[in-house]
Amino acid sequence: MYPRYVSPFLAALSLLLMSASAVPQVIKDDLGRPFPLPARVPERIVSMAPNITEILFALGLGGRVVGVTRFCDWPPEAAAIPKIGGLIDPNIEVIRSLDPDLVIAFRGNPLRLVERARKLGLPVFVLDIGEDLDELFPLIERIGRVTLTEARAADLTAGLRSRVDAVDAGLRGMVSRPKVFALLYGQGLWTCGGESYLDNLIARAGGVNVAASLPKKWALYKRERIIKDDPDAVFILARTAADFTSGRDRLARTPGMVGVTAVRTGRIFELDENAASRFGPRLVDVLVRMATLLHPEKLGGRT
Amino acid sequence: MSRKAGRRLFWAVSLFLCLAGFFLSVLTGPVRTTPGDLINFVKAPDRVLSAIFIDLRLSRAVLAFLVGAALALSGAILQGYFRNPMADPFVVGVSSGAALGAVIATAVGFEAAAFGFSGPGLLAFLSGLGIVSLVYALSLRRGGFKVETILLTGIAAGALASSLTSFFLFMRSDSYDQAVFWLLGSFQLAEWGQAATIAPWVVLCLLASVWLARDMDLLALGDESAQALGSPVRRVRKAFLAMSALLAALSVAVSGIIGFVGLVVPHWVRILIGPGHRALFLSSALAGGTFLLYCDLLARTLLPAELPIGVITAAVGAPFFLYLLHKKR
Repeated sequence: MYPRYVSPFLAALSLLLMSASAVPQVIKDDLGRPFPLPARVPERIVSMAPNITEILFALGLGGRVVGVTRFCDWPPEAAAIPKIGGLIDPNIEVIRSLDPDLVIAFRGNPLRLVERARKLGLPVFVLDIGEDLDELFPLIERIGRVTLTEARAADLTAGLRSRVDAVDAGLRGMVSRPKVFALLYGQGLWTCGGESYLDNLIARAGGVNVAASLPKKWALYKRERIIKDDPDAVFILARTAADFTSGRDRLARTPGMVGVTAVRTGRIFELDENAASRFGPRLVDVLVRMATLLHPEKLGGRT
Repeated sequence: MSRKAGRRLFWAVSLFLCLAGFFLSVLTGPVRTTPGDLINFVKAPDRVLSAIFIDLRLSRAVLAFLVGAALALSGAILQGYFRNPMADPFVVGVSSGAALGAVIATAVGFEAAAFGFSGPGLLAFLSGLGIVSLVYALSLRRGGFKVETILLTGIAAGALASSLTSFFLFMRSDSYDQAVFWLLGSFQLAEWGQAATIAPWVVLCLLASVWLARDMDLLALGDESAQALGSPVRRVRKAFLAMSALLAALSVAVSGIIGFVGLVVPHWVRILIGPGHRALFLSSALAGGTFLLYCDLLARTLLPAELPIGVITAAVGAPFFLYLLHKKR
C-alpha cells in the first residue's frame, strides 16, 4: 500500500528514532537548567532537604539514598544515613566523596553552593519550595521522573490525592469556617502568613488563618492581634506531648488570652511539627487531622 | 644576626611553612584523608579522590595563596606609596566599591559569569576598579597630585559605597546569606578557573613592582628628591597605584573582602627583614600567601560549618602583630 521506496525510508526513520532514544532525554529543573535523565534508576542519591528525603523513601528509594542533611530524620531510617551538613551549609566535599549519581537540591540551599557542586560535575537537580498543597503532587512526580520511578510516583500521588479529595468532599456544605491561629514551634508567637503552605493547608481544612493577610511566609504575631482576631481554634506545632502542654499553658496564661474563644472552649490542638514543617507526603495526614478537628460534625469518625 | 642571614632565615622559614601549608590543606577536610591516601592517589588516580584533592582542596589552597600574596603585595605597595603605615589595599576605596558591586549583583540576581568570575565577582571587580579610577580622577583635578587628597577622597568614596551597600542589604534581607560571603570573605567556592584568571596578574604585578622597587625606595625621600635623583616620579606613582588597585580588586572578585592581610603582613615583613622595597615586595607576597593559606585552613576546620575567613585573619593576625611590634620596641 506504500510505494516501494517508502519502507526503507521508514526503516531508516525508525532506526533513527531508536538511536535517538539511546541519547539521554533532557528535562529542566526548577531553576530552568537542563538536566539529562539518567539511563537507569540512580543508585547513589544525595538529598539536600528533609522533604526530598521523605519523598525518596516514599518512592521506595530509601536504600539508594547515600547522603542526607542533618535535619532529615523522617522516616527514622533516614537518620542513620551519612550527613552532608545542613540546608544552608551543605558540604560539597562530603557530597563529592559520596560519589552520587543524583543530587536533589531545593531552592532553599544556597545557589552558589549548588552551582559549585554542578561545576564539579555532580548531577544536581534543583526543586522549588511549594507554597500550596497542590504543588506537592507535581513535586513528587518530578522526583519520580528524575529517578525513573514515575509509576510509583503516580501511585503515591493518586493515593494522596484521593485522601485530599475525601476531605474536600467531606467538607462540602460546611456551615462555617472557624478562625484558626497556628502557633509554630519555638519561642514567641510565630505563625504562618498568607504566603506559606500552612496557610493554604488551613484553608483546605475548612478554616481561616487569622494571619492570612500578612504578606509573608512566617511572621511574629502580636498578642493584641490574637485577642482581637479571637480565633475559634488554635493549632500548636509541637515535637513532643510536653512541648504541646507547655505551649498550651503558655498561651492560656498570656494576659488577656482567657477571653479568646479557642482558649475558652478548649479548642487548642496539637499538630506534629515534624510532619507539618516539611513539604512532603505527611502534609496530607496533617490536612486530614486539621479538617477533622475543625469540622468534627462533617468528618468525625472518618479519619 | 646580620641582616643578610636574617633574610635567609626568613625565606627558609616562610618557604617551609608555605609548603607545609599546601600539604596540610590538601590533607585536611571534612572527608578524612591520610597521607597514605595521597600517596595511593598519586600512584593510581581515582575519580572521587581527584575531585577532593585536586578540584576542591588544592584549587582552594592555590587561590588562597594567590589572594594572600596579592593583598599583601598591594598593601606593601600602598604603604610605600602613601608613606603611611595605616595604608592598606582598601583605603583607596577598592574594598567598599567591590562590596557594593557584589551586594548589588546578589540583590538583583546578576549571574552573568565571565573569565572564571561569578556574576557578583565580575561586578565586584568592575565597581572596585571603578571607584579607584573615580578617586584618582577626582584627586588629579585638584591641580597636580597630592597624596593626602587621594587618601581622603578614597576614604570618602569608600564611606559612600559602604552606606549604599548597607542600603541594599537592608532592602534585600533575603540575599543576606550571599552577601555575608562577600563582606567577610571566603574561599568556599574556589575553583581552578579563578586561580588561572588571577595568577598571571599577580605574577605580573609582582615582577613589575620588584623591577620598580628602587624607585619606590627613592619616593621615601620625598617626591622632589626622587625626581632630582632621576626617578620618573609621576609615572612610577601611576604604575604603583594601578597595580595595587588591580591586585585588590582581583582578590575581592574571587574571595570577597578579606581584611587585615594587606595592612599587617607588610609590617611583619618590614619588622623582620627591614624596609628595602625589593625584598619587602617579594617577602610580603610569600608571607601573605602563606598566612592566608593557614587562615583558610582554620576557617574550614575550626567549626563544623565554615567560618568567613575575614573573622580569622583579624583574630589571628592582630595578636601576632602586636607581639612583633612590642618585641621590637
